[in-house]
Amino acid sequence: MNKTVPDSRGYFGEYGGKFVPETLVNVLHELEDAFERFQKSDDAHEELSALLKNYAGRPTPLYFAKRFSEKIGVRVYLKREDLLHTGAHKLNNTLGQILLAKFMNKKRIIAETGAGQHGVATATVCALMGLECVVYMGEVDIERQATNVKRMKLLGATVIPVVSGSRTLKDAVNAALRDWVKSCQNTHYILGSVTGPHPFPRIVREFQKVIGEETIGQFKEAEGGLPDAVFACVGGGSNAAGMFYPFSSTDVPLYGVEAGGRSHKPGDHCETLTQGSPGIFQGARSYLIQDEFGQVLPVHSVSAGLDYPSVGPEHSYWKDANRVTYVSCNDEEALAACHTLTRYEGILPALESSHAVGYLIEHAADFAGKTVIVNLSGRGDKDLGIILGEVKL
Amino acid sequence: MSSYNGIYLVGNYPDSRRFIDAALKGLEFFDFLEVGIPFSDPVADGPVIVEAAFQALTNGETIDSILQSVDEIRKKMDPGKKIYFMNYANTAHAPGYEKFCKKCTDHSIAGMIVPDIPFSESGDLKRVAQGAGLEYIDFITPESTTEQIEEVVTFATGFVYAVSMRGITGQDLSFDDATIQKIKHARSKSRVPVVIGFGIRDASGAKSACAIADGFIMGTEPVLRLGKSFNEFSSFIDTLSSELKDL
Repeated sequence: MNKTVPDSRGYFGEYGGKFVPETLVNVLHELEDAFERFQKSDDAHEELSALLKNYAGRPTPLYFAKRFSEKIGVRVYLKREDLLHTGAHKLNNTLGQILLAKFMNKKRIIAETGAGQHGVATATVCALMGLECVVYMGEVDIERQATNVKRMKLLGATVIPVVSGSRTLKDAVNAALRDWVKSCQNTHYILGSVTGPHPFPRIVREFQKVIGEETIGQFKEAEGGLPDAVFACVGGGSNAAGMFYPFSSTDVPLYGVEAGGRSHKPGDHCETLTQGSPGIFQGARSYLIQDEFGQVLPVHSVSAGLDYPSVGPEHSYWKDANRVTYVSCNDEEALAACHTLTRYEGILPALESSHAVGYLIEHAADFAGKTVIVNLSGRGDKDLGIILGEVKL
Repeated sequence: MSSYNGIYLVGNYPDSRRFIDAALKGLEFFDFLEVGIPFSDPVADGPVIVEAAFQALTNGETIDSILQSVDEIRKKMDPGKKIYFMNYANTAHAPGYEKFCKKCTDHSIAGMIVPDIPFSESGDLKRVAQGAGLEYIDFITPESTTEQIEEVVTFATGFVYAVSMRGITGQDLSFDDATIQKIKHARSKSRVPVVIGFGIRDASGAKSACAIADGFIMGTEPVLRLGKSFNEFSSFIDTLSSELKDL
């Protein structure tokens, strides 16, 4: 698999690019230049490494889930991104991007958030660096992720409710892009996934690939060699990209698990790669859930972080190249998986990550006796309200 | 009138009848009409146009129903004037660029303005559009460099769309000096009119745009007025045309 993507124009094969209003083109160039300088700077790398280690808590453990493995008949290792500071992998990216913002001398930070994990991770690094922080969040998500809204406010961020469209993650991205077109001179937009216009898909992957790199080393130490398969949930796709990218040049089978929602009917799921078709949306050409006229269709998932009608362009590239197998897990299976992992391991996974666990449980027979890794991208404390509403105690 | 001015309306908003009437009324004064194709995720637009587009989509409007109205407008309007599409990239991408452009030429659309395709990404659609005889309108913005401006105006067809400020549609107008210089530079190099859009809501905004450029485009204010009533829209156009009769 070609690891040198994206090309200089920001394309992963035929996916990606920079589909933004003309006003943003030069600020994206500026970001690209800053990232190149950042990549070459030993000081910047040292600063980021120190923060990842001492502030965020890296490396995160690769944990052998013994009781859960016995239950499903598959040997399962969990990559514990849920143990990262703020409770999800999102901090890997926000720590990197806040240093980039400082490189570019931007004084104000904006971000979008769905589940609130990226919003919290952004508000956290803004508190750490003393920068102004504005987070856009759909009204629907504000309601279902109330704890994270309170956390962001406590951290000093301004949370702006987005009331247009479906009032979820995609509308929060639209609102952040509209802010950025006005404010790009003094503002950096910390995009939270491997989505959006170039260079974001590359930048976010580069800041997240630490997940896969650590995993490869830790697995080798624990078991020798490589795992039989790796699983990660895919909404925008940042935790999956961070896990998969270092594996993409190996032969290890990779599974990206999308949110199957309530059913396979339009409007009931977020199965972008398994049900969608290529389109141009929020800065990039990628798979998209759309109608024949190119209108983006409503999507649904019990997990706010997967409730998104498109996906990062590198995933579209991996799909077409058959490097990653994209599958889905529905709401009910994800909730059950969340409960099972909690009861068997004492680990409460985020509903997003529960989709990866849920797919593995449902298809355990296909992996019987094998040794696999699941990226446990976040912890589920934020989802307690939803989980308790669905699970009988 | 020597300036070259455009009016933007959201296709079939608030309904097809009022859209057609408003387009014809607007074209009594304006030189061209921009028909916005409603899109589910309009990132370049402010609340007024976002709401109007959402309303049109909720009413079930599609590019095809809007083209039926365009045909009616065509029959009654000054044949020397032009109708453009203002459409987001995915509206052209979904059917395929060839099919989309054929639809445009079949209905005498002069060309297209695509707010989420910058010059650097415009090659594919531009090639197909220009091959079909359509004009493809590029933008210059306060962020454009001198080299970018010169590249855009060198290849421009129809007109050049100069965005007045950093931002989305429907904000208050403000020009900074650097932007004024950029627009003047574009005008000195361009063979086609350089027309200013974004933030122009009344005669005074129009006059300040025309002091710098070859004309102006007005969108949010007409859409807002038409949303209230056709009469309000109509008297707005009448007032504008009397205040701007010397332009």
